[in-house]
Amino acid sequence: MQGASSGIGYGLKYQARCISDVKADTDHTTFLAGTLSLKEENEVHLIRLSSSGTELFCEGLFSHPNEIWDLVSCPFDQRIFSTVYSNGETYGAAIWQIPELYGELNSPQLEKITSLDGHAGKIKCILWWPSGRHDKLISIDEENLYLWSLDASKKTAQIQSQDSAGMPHKISGGAWDPHDVNSVAATFESSLQLWDVRAMGKTISIECSHVRSVDYHPKRKHVLVTAEHESGIHIWDLRKPKVPIQELPGHTHWTWIVKCNPEYDGVILSAGTDSTVNLWLVSLGNDDVSTESQTESPTHWVDPLINTYSDYEDSIYGLTWSSREPWIFASLSYDGRVVVESVKPFISKK
Amino acid sequence: MGSDGDGDAPLLDDKAKRMRDLLSSFYAPNPSMLSHSPTASSKHSTPDDINSSSFDPNHYMNILVNNSNLEGLLKRHVDMAAEIKNLDTDLQMLVYENYNKFISATDTIKRMKSNILGMEGNMEYLLEKIMSVQSRSDSVNTSLFEKREHIEKLHRTCNLLRKVQFIYDLPDRLGKCIKSEAYADAVRFYTGAMPIFKAYGDSSFHDCKRASDEAIAIIVKNLQEKLFSDSEPIQVRAEAALLLKQLDFPVDNLKTKLLERLEHSLRDIQLKPEEIKNASPSAREVAILEFVEAIRAFRVIFPDSETQLVKIAKGLITRDFVITEEYVTTRICAADLLGVLRVIWNESLLMDEVLQDSALSNHFLEGAKVAVKLYVESAFSQLLLDISDCLLKILKRDETEEYSLETALDASTKLALQGGRNLLLDVCKILDDDSGIIDKLREPIIDWVQEGLQDFFRQLEDQFQSFSGKNNSSATQIHGLTEAAAFAGLVLVLAQLSAFIEQTAIPKINEELAVSFSAGPYEYGPAFVPGEISRKFRSAGDKFLQQYINIRTQRISLLQKKRFATPKWVKHKEPREVHMFVDLFLQELKVIVNEVKQVLPQDMRKHRRSNASSASSKSNSFREEKLLHRSNTQRARSQLLETHLAKLFKQKVEIFTKVEHTQESVVMTIVKLSLKSLQEFVRLQTFNRSGFQQIQLDMQFLRTPLREIVEDEAAMDFLLDEVIVAATERCLDPIPLEPPILDKLIQAKLAKSLEENTSSS
Repeated sequence: MQGASSGIGYGLKYQARCISDVKADTDHTTFLAGTLSLKEENEVHLIRLSSSGTELFCEGLFSHPNEIWDLVSCPFDQRIFSTVYSNGETYGAAIWQIPELYGELNSPQLEKITSLDGHAGKIKCILWWPSGRHDKLISIDEENLYLWSLDASKKTAQIQSQDSAGMPHKISGGAWDPHDVNSVAATFESSLQLWDVRAMGKTISIECSHVRSVDYHPKRKHVLVTAEHESGIHIWDLRKPKVPIQELPGHTHWTWIVKCNPEYDGVILSAGTDSTVNLWLVSLGNDDVSTESQTESPTHWVDPLINTYSDYEDSIYGLTWSSREPWIFASLSYDGRVVVESVKPFISKK
Repeated sequence: MGSDGDGDAPLLDDKAKRMRDLLSSFYAPNPSMLSHSPTASSKHSTPDDINSSSFDPNHYMNILVNNSNLEGLLKRHVDMAAEIKNLDTDLQMLVYENYNKFISATDTIKRMKSNILGMEGNMEYLLEKIMSVQSRSDSVNTSLFEKREHIEKLHRTCNLLRKVQFIYDLPDRLGKCIKSEAYADAVRFYTGAMPIFKAYGDSSFHDCKRASDEAIAIIVKNLQEKLFSDSEPIQVRAEAALLLKQLDFPVDNLKTKLLERLEHSLRDIQLKPEEIKNASPSAREVAILEFVEAIRAFRVIFPDSETQLVKIAKGLITRDFVITEEYVTTRICAADLLGVLRVIWNESLLMDEVLQDSALSNHFLEGAKVAVKLYVESAFSQLLLDISDCLLKILKRDETEEYSLETALDASTKLALQGGRNLLLDVCKILDDDSGIIDKLREPIIDWVQEGLQDFFRQLEDQFQSFSGKNNSSATQIHGLTEAAAFAGLVLVLAQLSAFIEQTAIPKINEELAVSFSAGPYEYGPAFVPGEISRKFRSAGDKFLQQYINIRTQRISLLQKKRFATPKWVKHKEPREVHMFVDLFLQELKVIVNEVKQVLPQDMRKHRRSNASSASSKSNSFREEKLLHRSNTQRARSQLLETHLAKLFKQKVEIFTKVEHTQESVVMTIVKLSLKSLQEFVRLQTFNRSGFQQIQLDMQFLRTPLREIVEDEAAMDFLLDEVIVAATERCLDPIPLEPPILDKLIQAKLAKSLEENTSSS
């Protein structure tokens, strides 16, 4: 419980699964969180960290028609975000825009730019290209992968190409390579599959079971991190897809989500259903030695687990680093509690 | 006149003296000597001395005249006259004598002259005579020469004929010698005749040579036979060898042949370690004695063959050790090894006696060192193999024949402990052996054992790791279900075995080690470090246990995944009975409990506490039930708040605690993880009323059987409630089943399963 006191809390009204960093907002550290309630009216919270860094306040509160299973903020426009929602039986995905005058309205409605129709099964996630302005979107459902071309001004989205997984197992999630606009990784039950978006064809496949979450290393090409239910966290080099370059034990129960820090090399955050967030520091070889690791103590093997944040009541499904202040992360547990923590004490020590 | 009379006596003396001087000067070889003569250089060398050379008559006269009176002068005059007269007589005498001598000399010369005159004629005559004698003798010589020549020729022919005769007789004679076995004579004869045969063998004495060669061939054959026959006395054989050598027979060949034969005979006396156990003096011992005798004989026969013999002897010992080394790698006990070593030791001692400089005992020591080391190593590797076999049997079990984990664990723990101790005891036996064979090896042996133990445990741990790592994550996919289950069992056994080794085997073996191997100073190899090994096994044990839990929960999680992936929960039909999945889940748990019970120990301490906690858990679950009932009638919004509140009041159940090596802890952990997974799966779905009721029913049913299995009922109840709560939250219309219906369905299920049990058993 070391990190317990440093956390800044914020309560959502209902249970929730997803939180996203608003990357395009360069003036404030802002997060978007969506609730997951079957029966109540769901909300999207725009949460801002006060400039002093000691308080979280609600910058905007918008009602959302259905329970939100996935929410991603647009990386180049802070007012745009995507959600995957469900009414209990069917799934849908849409691109939303926060209304301009939301400060003056009491309960402003979100403007729906467009909905991404055409999915048949359970939609898993929507992907934006994380590295900049790109007019393409990828949506993933259990069996298919769609590439959309989005025109925000005309409020239209069109399917450019589509590919089906063609596997007995279902897709569980994915990530878009920040180094290569044409490469997308999708997670299956027993493997990790890479797509080339131009040709919509599969490229590399990595054997690993029960992958739940995948994240690309923001600085190193070819390196990505996967979280698996039972066997913890694996770090892969796509040039050597046979064996992971590193393994981390993960969580006591399922490891649900894993995120690489956008700035600090080797700093990885994972969250799991054992109600903890783990902070890892791994050294990924020497092709890019950061200043931190040079000052590191000469002992060869150090426990990669730096800290465990355990001040949570329920499973944690939402986790994101702030891209504006990369030592800050926000976590969202199922009971609707947003906790923002700073990893500064641990990183500066190293 | 008186004075004259005074000078009479010296005058006489002077006269004699002068005479003598004169004579001597005359005969003196060197005239100059005269002046030096003592008389000439007399002390009266005054001018008045009449005898000196510087005599001055005037002066003398003056002195005389001045000093003497007339009487004296007269006397002097008389004296002088007499003296002069004497001198004249003497002179006369001398002359006369010399003259005589001269005359006789002249006579002699005259006679010589006349004698020489006739000599030359005589000489010439003599020469003439000698010449004639010589010519005579020459003529005699020439006249006799021919005859003499003839005689000499005859003599030579005679000799030759005698030799020829000898050669012609040689075969017969050799034959006779063969008959009488006088080979030495035969060889002498033959070598005598050899030059002739060499010169004329091809022409005139062809037959003869052939015959005698034949005879000699027989002799050589006989000699060889003699040489090779072991029954002949050594002296005879040595002689035979010598004779053969004289016959220019290639003895070296013989020697090598004989050596080969010796070696060959050795090949027959192979070490058969299996036979050593039979106490009776084996044929081998006899053979070795024979061999030693043979060596002795050989040394006499071929004195220069020692090095080769040593080589052979060394070869024998080396071969023995090669066999021993092979033998050692099969399972043998220390006594067997000692027996073999003793046999070889005796052998080398025997041979050492015969071959003094062979240093065979050193050779033996080297070999013994290797053999004992190999023995220790192979003993450890055998043990390792045994344990691995024992463990691998779990994987290979047939479905018909149940090789229970319990027996496997029993066997392997016994092996690990007992095997280790037996091995130490065995080595102790070697150490305690007092026959002096391994005296020098004692310290190295202790080192080897220490080193061996360390390596053994290290390898054992590696082996365990490799067993567990072999089909780590892919176990459930690659192998069939039974195999995967077996693998889980193996991992569990490994976990317990590691714990056992850490807690029991290592301390005990260390004790044993301290008792029996304390003597040696551990300087050489890496000594046995029990702390390090213990630590290794502890972490390995924890790891294996975790792995076992992982494998098991993975299997359960697979079941759950299937359960939740297949139906459309939103369009679920009304629950009619407890779902099949519950059976599968319980079955899986049963297997786990079964496995765990076989392998892991019970935790007495925990057991006691669980009673207390079960009481509190009852009240907890009671409250939970009440809450559920209440929530039935209310809407979801307040219900969420209530669950939150309930959580606040209920003490937070520690779901994830550290796993211990006990039945309860492992089972509890697996149940907890499974129920938690269940909750997570439920949270991912959306239910209609019937779906929710199905979940409620299943969970409710699970309570009773799980209670029998788990130790911490509170946690179990809590987790089951959590699943139901999760289902409520994810339900569009969360109206639970009425308790009577719930009961009815559960009873029906219980009856059915009871029925199945009775019918199956």
